Amino acid sequence: MTTLTLAGTEADPRRRLKVLASQEALLAIAVIGLAIAVGLYNPRFLAARNLSDVLLGNAYIAVAAVGMSMVIVSGNIDISVGALIGVLATISGTLAVNGAPIVVAWLAALVAGVLVMALQGAIIAYLRIPAIVVTLGMLSILKGGLISVTGGKWITDLPDSFHLADIELFGVLPFPVFLMILVTILAALWMRYSASGRAIYAVGGNAEAARLCGISQPRTIVMVFALHGFFAGAAALLYATQLRVIQSTVPPNLELTIITASVVGGVSILGGVGTVIGSTLAAVLIAEIASALVFIDVSPYWIRAVQGVLILVTVIADILRRRRMAGA
Amino acid sequence: MKLGLAFAFLSATLLAGTASAADKRWDGADDLPVNPLACAAGEANAAPAAKPYDGGRPTNAADKAGKPITLVDVPKLIGIGYFNATSKGMQEAAKALGNVTVKTDGPTEAKIDEQIKFIDNYITSGVDGILFAANDPVAIAPVLKKALSKGIHVVGYDANSTPDAREWFVNQAEFNGIAKSMIDSMANEAGEDKSFAIVTSTFTTPNQARWIAEMWAYAQKCHPKLKWLETVEAQEDNNLSFNQATTLINKHGDKLAGLFGMTSVATPASAEAVTKAKLCGKVAVVGLATPNAMKPYVNADCVKSVVLWNPVDLGYAATYVMRAVVDGTLKPGATSVDAGKLGKLNVVNGSEILLGSPFIFTKQNIKDFDF
Repeated sequence: MTTLTLAGTEADPRRRLKVLASQEALLAIAVIGLAIAVGLYNPRFLAARNLSDVLLGNAYIAVAAVGMSMVIVSGNIDISVGALIGVLATISGTLAVNGAPIVVAWLAALVAGVLVMALQGAIIAYLRIPAIVVTLGMLSILKGGLISVTGGKWITDLPDSFHLADIELFGVLPFPVFLMILVTILAALWMRYSASGRAIYAVGGNAEAARLCGISQPRTIVMVFALHGFFAGAAALLYATQLRVIQSTVPPNLELTIITASVVGGVSILGGVGTVIGSTLAAVLIAEIASALVFIDVSPYWIRAVQGVLILVTVIADILRRRRMAGA
Repeated sequence: MKLGLAFAFLSATLLAGTASAADKRWDGADDLPVNPLACAAGEANAAPAAKPYDGGRPTNAADKAGKPITLVDVPKLIGIGYFNATSKGMQEAAKALGNVTVKTDGPTEAKIDEQIKFIDNYITSGVDGILFAANDPVAIAPVLKKALSKGIHVVGYDANSTPDAREWFVNQAEFNGIAKSMIDSMANEAGEDKSFAIVTSTFTTPNQARWIAEMWAYAQKCHPKLKWLETVEAQEDNNLSFNQATTLINKHGDKLAGLFGMTSVATPASAEAVTKAKLCGKVAVVGLATPNAMKPYVNADCVKSVVLWNPVDLGYAATYVMRAVVDGTLKPGATSVDAGKLGKLNVVNGSEILLGSPFIFTKQNIKDFDF
């Protein structure tokens, strides 16, 4: 049950030190430290407009990473999410240009997201097929299906009211940033304090123990995937409403960016450990690095290499931490 | 703290790399020789010396002159407006000719390894001719040569292979022609002594690299006061292009008077970034793009010139060229080829067919196009 106490509820004298060394704290320090370092090199980086644009343009990745984190914590993985976001964006945009009420166009993305993901969750949980196989299959279905149905025609002439991402709350806070923060906080509280939220950790940490505690593993997995589908739908809306055109294709490597945010955020790829605060901070860090590379005149292609290094460092640190705990 | 240490190390490495990056300003251009056009509009450039035919030849191709033929078109990727338009042109040509069947099939992402697999499969299943737009000029050569060796005719369009791997290549616009249109539009809209930046796909994409090299050469010759700030890569990704353009606007502030979009994805995304930053009229956006994606910005007067050739005509011409090759009317050494409604097209560079001057979409004409 060690994994269940990792979130830090024990009254350990070294707890304060532990909190400081947590993945979330490290990421927060990295986000702020990088901003200061790049700001010293080029003060324009710290302009409110730029910081807001960095968050605005990448909030959808953080929102999708919240669902992905739940899936990974539950001991699963989903590589179909990038393709699903492309499909949901296209569904929503197609409804909007064909005269459906805007609210219906928005809701359709959420509902379709939940349905597709719940279906995958059910196949994984009840037929006991590994998540990587099921979601790989779904990736191909969605990718091929999208191109066959749309013929790759871009969606243009979207009505102005469709552009959810353009809304600014109180005239300053862009809606995508607001949604990212809201979703992260709510999901973090739910995962930490509710019985069903804790069940995700139990299922991913030790499935047998969870079963003995009376937690239904299949039901938890279906719930996690359904929620993940909801967040994917929300991410698709932000993604679709940011620009005036929807490409009707699957955004390249989007699932990898989302998984990277979760893993770098401290969600253990082995399941049972991690928080959505970590994944959101990691999504912000990755977006910040991409922008910083332009500001310091380095090809943004390095972002891939940087992401790779971040993943390896995080995973190695996670494995070492587990070994140390197992040895202690 | 390991993560923190690794991070500090990375930051240091990246910062150290900036000194060298600052010297190399024309990122994204290739190193091939450039041939800038004359500055004045319409003035003919000195014709380069005629080059002998340097294309390949199929081995024992069946004689199908005048007979029905089946073609496959393998573009860089399917599912984008641009290649949908070339595909449409091919269908139009097939209909006009009456004895050609052409089918478009290809990867859903611009990946050379997948494109090779598609071509290989069609060689096995058997077609009379292959039309292609290469994702990589060198990597695609072996599979095209294999097609030639099996007696299949090979004609390229849009993005070339090495010349000996295909018979003819339909060149949508010469690189220096596009470069002239782009730089002239920028100088006209942003101002002769202003600064601009470029959003491209990748530094190694052949077409984009060639255009940027020619743009640099033409700007030096005809608009020497234009200042180039930098080129950023954004692949063919809508949101990445938007984020990159936004970052450029935030980074350079008032200094930035223009943005070039080098792909049909980067140009609308750059226009969106300028619109969102409320800088329409202050930052000119000039670029290559398909009309539908640009209509909102052109109609809102945020973008004045969209530079492109007509991709429908390009696909149409490629199909006519293939028919002429099969019929034996376009042979090595020919100086022109008949391309139906497009009239006679000239042979350039040994084994290329030139489509014509670039086309500029403006507020007046953009509504006439739907792709």
